[in-house]
Amino acid sequence: MALLHAAISQLRRLLAACSHLARAFRDWYQRPSKSELRGLKLLREWLSQEQLTQYDAHRYFEVIGCHTGKRYRICHGTAANVFELDDAGLPREGWCFVPNDHLVAVDVMLAQKIGLETDERGALATANNFTPR
Amino acid sequence: MATQIIMDHNGDTRHNFDAKDAKTLLEAERRFKALTGVGFTAATRTASGEPVVTRTFDPTAEETLFFPRLIGG
Repeated sequence: MALLHAAISQLRRLLAACSHLARAFRDWYQRPSKSELRGLKLLREWLSQEQLTQYDAHRYFEVIGCHTGKRYRICHGTAANVFELDDAGLPREGWCFVPNDHLVAVDVMLAQKIGLETDERGALATANNFTPR
Repeated sequence: MATQIIMDHNGDTRHNFDAKDAKTLLEAERRFKALTGVGFTAATRTASGEPVVTRTFDPTAEETLFFPRLIGG
């Protein structure tokens, strides 16, 4: 019986060590690249205080379209990440428009923000729309 | 010292220039025209932080951000 308890105890320690290693590997694998860190610094410099608070809490921020006054949510991502919101703040329509170069997600989000805040109609004219799930 | 920030696959690339130095100012203006000429959008920020798109080179702008043309995804 004592031998069984000792074996179980050893097994638990082994599983804990494996779990710790797996978490460390995941953190290492998912670490932001230098490009992402640079992009994030730029995004943080250009977001309003309110947008920055939203982004830190939810990984999205909201912008007001300069032409219609509509509210859009820009989620962390590089495609199909912009949602027009209804009066209740729920996604009504999705819009997909991106810079025509390969950029990190936070740079894409900043370009989308500036597009909607300075030339909403122009940005949406290029966009493809989709129904949010 | 003013800065031009160009979004690229590295995140961004920054070019500083002194608006009082004719040589670097000319370089900055050439860079502005070259980038906007190939479709980049140039944006600056107002004192309150709101973005403004600019079509002409402003030597007094402390910071100008360039991002590639937006297209449907």
